[in-house]
Amino acid sequence: MIRIVVVDDHPAMRTGLRTVLDAEPGLVFVGESAGDEESLWPLLRSVDPDVVLLDYHLPRGDGLQLCHRIKRDVLAPKVLVHSAYAGGALAVPARMAGADGLVDKGIGARELFEAIRVIHRGEPLLPAVSQTLLEELYERVAVDDRPILGLLLNGAGKSDVAAALGMNVGDVHAAVTRMLGRLRVEVPAARGM
Amino acid sequence: MVGVEASCQPGPHEMPRRGRDRRVTAPRPGSEPSVPYLARLPSRHQLVSTIAGVRRHLVGPGGQWLALLVAGRLLASAVAVWLLVLGPLSGVDLVLLAYGPVTTAIIVARPSLRRRRATWALDSLLALACVVISSDWRSPFYMLWLTTLALPAVCLPLRRAAWLAAASPVLYLAVAFLWGAGPRPDRLTSETLAIHLLLPVVLVGGLAYAADALRRLQDERSERERLAIEAERRRIAWELHDSAKQRLHAAHLLVSSLNGGVPSALAPVVHGAATELESAAADMDTSLSELREPLEGRPLHEALRSRAAELHRADGPRISVSGSAPSLSPLVSAHLYRIGCEAITNALRHADASTIDVHLEPDADTFRLRVRDDGRGLPTERRPMATGLVAMEGRAATIGARLTVQSPPTGAGTVVMLELPTSEEAR
Repeated sequence: MIRIVVVDDHPAMRTGLRTVLDAEPGLVFVGESAGDEESLWPLLRSVDPDVVLLDYHLPRGDGLQLCHRIKRDVLAPKVLVHSAYAGGALAVPARMAGADGLVDKGIGARELFEAIRVIHRGEPLLPAVSQTLLEELYERVAVDDRPILGLLLNGAGKSDVAAALGMNVGDVHAAVTRMLGRLRVEVPAARGM
Repeated sequence: MVGVEASCQPGPHEMPRRGRDRRVTAPRPGSEPSVPYLARLPSRHQLVSTIAGVRRHLVGPGGQWLALLVAGRLLASAVAVWLLVLGPLSGVDLVLLAYGPVTTAIIVARPSLRRRRATWALDSLLALACVVISSDWRSPFYMLWLTTLALPAVCLPLRRAAWLAAASPVLYLAVAFLWGAGPRPDRLTSETLAIHLLLPVVLVGGLAYAADALRRLQDERSERERLAIEAERRRIAWELHDSAKQRLHAAHLLVSSLNGGVPSALAPVVHGAATELESAAADMDTSLSELREPLEGRPLHEALRSRAAELHRADGPRISVSGSAPSLSPLVSAHLYRIGCEAITNALRHADASTIDVHLEPDADTFRLRVRDDGRGLPTERRPMATGLVAMEGRAATIGARLTVQSPPTGAGTVVMLELPTSEEAR
């Protein structure tokens, strides 16, 4: 049984996910949150899910910042980021935030179930990033943060990065938060709102 | 969607296609009708367009200035006639008298001449020549000469117009005196001298100030309108994304979960519904990206470069963006960006190319945007659903650019070339 928490600000999406997850053998829906601080953390602590299905575009803050915070926990659940714009541009910050997988919101139920099972087995599920896009994203983060980004994308953990660069882990986390802000993928046309 | 289109009306790509459309050419092998209609009626066509041109320039934006200019010149010519007929008329005088009305007619008929500095200089010098020939610095043609300063005063930036205001009376007196049309010392009064010195300064200065104020007002207003349109687009896009698209995804998820769980007779129905919902979400993505303000203040080449990086796939063709764009209005840049993106997307989708080369080349009076691929070239028959190409043509027409899509006869690749005139007329 894979126990799943759904974090999405849209009620229709939450209801839809609850319905399909409940109907699927082997998966069980154990709770939902709109992504607000008040409900999310108590929920995660009380139900202790195996997988968090996390929306990227949330009204307050973004899903990857939440993911980054969830994954700092020692017994963190697997996180599958669920976004309407799951392309390469989101794969880089998703990897940095420690997400286990990234899937498009437009995929069908079967594919979603499969993705949940894959990341639950511990296999990463992140789209490939082209070299050109990678260079473009490097340009967007501060020069001081680029070595951290490079190490993280090569698969190093936060503590490995801290050791390699002679920093403390808190500073690495702060850098990740900063870079997630710089690499935010906006909803088309909703910039500046 | 109806709401979206209605509120996009002020947006450039929604505008009805007019006049300049004819300049947009895209080769459609084998499907072009012959052109007996145009060949049969060239004179009528020209006449109609000339009349429309005069009307547009007298009534359209900036038309008030022209009407004022025409009235001023004709009035100055009338003053000259009146002053001359009081004295004995010579043959030369008749030629001089014709100068005002004839040049006024030329200026009205040829809008492009009105913006050329050479025209202004020539007009002003010829009017000065009239003054010199009529042999008196208080010539009947003085007023006409004054009106020749009106066009540069209105068109030049304020600072240059100020120089013109200061220099013109000095030039006038210098020419008049040097050519022997100056006053005899006994007839030189300080009042006439003061008037001749002051009048050009007041006229040029006043006109330049008024024109500058109007220009700034207009810029401000169009900027405000642009911002309002953008805000509205953002709101609509947000609503589409936040509500409609999430519901579509949810519905798709629900329907697709039925796959394999319904009686086989119903399976195609479920599959069809899921496919439809998926396409609806894709359509909505297209609409959303259409609503997006693409450049966000970046120069065109940077925006295209980052779009190329977004579109590039590890196993896809190499996309290079070279060259740079001159400073263009946000509206024009946005259209150029969309045309460029569409050309790249087309090459990715249909050309099966290994490299796509985007080149931006600013020239003295033309900006060129070229998207070239080394793929399989254009199909011999234009696909009936080539909406991308039609949209590109529409955009090109809106900004007065010329778009050509060609496959070299060697059969290798396609070149999409956009040429935008960047001279003053096009701005």
